[in-house]
Amino acid sequence: MKSNQTAVDHFDAEALKELRPENQLGKTALVLAAVCISAWFSNVVNGAPLLDALPGMLILYAMVMVGLGIGRACPFYLPSVAWVSLISIVMTLPMFPGSEWILEQLAQVNFLAVVTPVLAYAGLALTGREFAMFKHTGWKLVLVALLVFTGTFVGSAIVAHILL
Amino acid sequence: MDLKLLLNWRLHLTVIVTSMFAEWVGIARIPLGPGTLLLLPLLYAFVIGVLLNPHLFSVMGKLVPKSVSHASGPIILIAILPFIAKFGSTIGPAIEQIIAAGPALLLQEAGNLGTMLIALPFAVLVLKMGRESIGATYSIAREPNIAIISDRYGLRSPEGIGIMGVYVVGTMFGTLYFALMAGYIASLDILDIRALAMACGVGSGSMVAACSAALVEAVPASKDELLAFAGASNLLTYATGLYISLFIALPITEWMYKRLKGNAPAEVRHEI
Repeated sequence: MKSNQTAVDHFDAEALKELRPENQLGKTALVLAAVCISAWFSNVVNGAPLLDALPGMLILYAMVMVGLGIGRACPFYLPSVAWVSLISIVMTLPMFPGSEWILEQLAQVNFLAVVTPVLAYAGLALTGREFAMFKHTGWKLVLVALLVFTGTFVGSAIVAHILL
Repeated sequence: MDLKLLLNWRLHLTVIVTSMFAEWVGIARIPLGPGTLLLLPLLYAFVIGVLLNPHLFSVMGKLVPKSVSHASGPIILIAILPFIAKFGSTIGPAIEQIIAAGPALLLQEAGNLGTMLIALPFAVLVLKMGRESIGATYSIAREPNIAIISDRYGLRSPEGIGIMGVYVVGTMFGTLYFALMAGYIASLDILDIRALAMACGVGSGSMVAACSAALVEAVPASKDELLAFAGASNLLTYATGLYISLFIALPITEWMYKRLKGNAPAEVRHEI
């Protein structure tokens, strides 16, 4: 069983490398368009009507593509999430030209509505292997999660207490 | 991966309908004791996605065939990116506040590395968990941290299972637990209440709200000061959290895991 497991992990790692979004910009551009459409519709309920949110969604689309493009061209590796978030921070800095207009358009896109479809894809993507693993470790993860929360809170509080 | 599968209209339509329904149900606040159980649309979307998953109920294969479900895996990597872009746009405009927050707040961010200090040894040595424990304990498991794990290992890896487990627990009980814990620790009167307020900024909007509300409840006189500290600290975690967890927390967790595994019995790897 153990060797099987490693084989599967290896396969996943290989597949993942091949599927890194910045390695296939053309394919990614199309899939990104599809997921943006999902987010665009998801935003209708608690965000803004389709037409009002269109510029904001297009800006998000452009930020992601620029971030992936830089990640592709860059000689050292940084995850695509880091590039995309960096591009977005820079474009919304007060000194960036047009940042006010960008923020105005992005305000039409609800923060939480963009992430709702991601979790729907995630729920649909789980395979039998993950269900089995979840069943096996579920209760352990609850215990671990509570320790994680306690650890970060008490850790930060002790450091801050010493510095104050 | 075949482009036809990635752009399968049934998959995306199912996601759109699921998301719109989840958004329509909206945020639910369930008061429970001193805190509030906060349920967000993304949680319903995940649960509905799981229920529609053909691997759980084979009858769902009629709606979303298994091959399309497999294609959904790599899509997650791309789907999280517009959210990351939106997330970054909340930091740019607040850059001056973040700089003004000062070095004390900055150093306090190091405390966020406390996630793995107790939890990782417990997970590996007591619960005998495998690599799930890395995903589960390297961070507080909010959306940006999920994006990092998804990028590094994939969400279907053991690390991915670990972080999704903590994410779900955090979504369901995080708010309640933070309110309870913060209120309780404040009542012990060991640590400076302002230090506790800074500690509330863990990078989750609902958790910081519940945590600082509980502190205000404990010391009503310092309300404004406490909320300001908590807010600034949370903003800082938003700004730096992604980079700290990627470049510091994840390598430390990997290193600790290897050390702990060296001392643990060999059969710990998960068998399914």
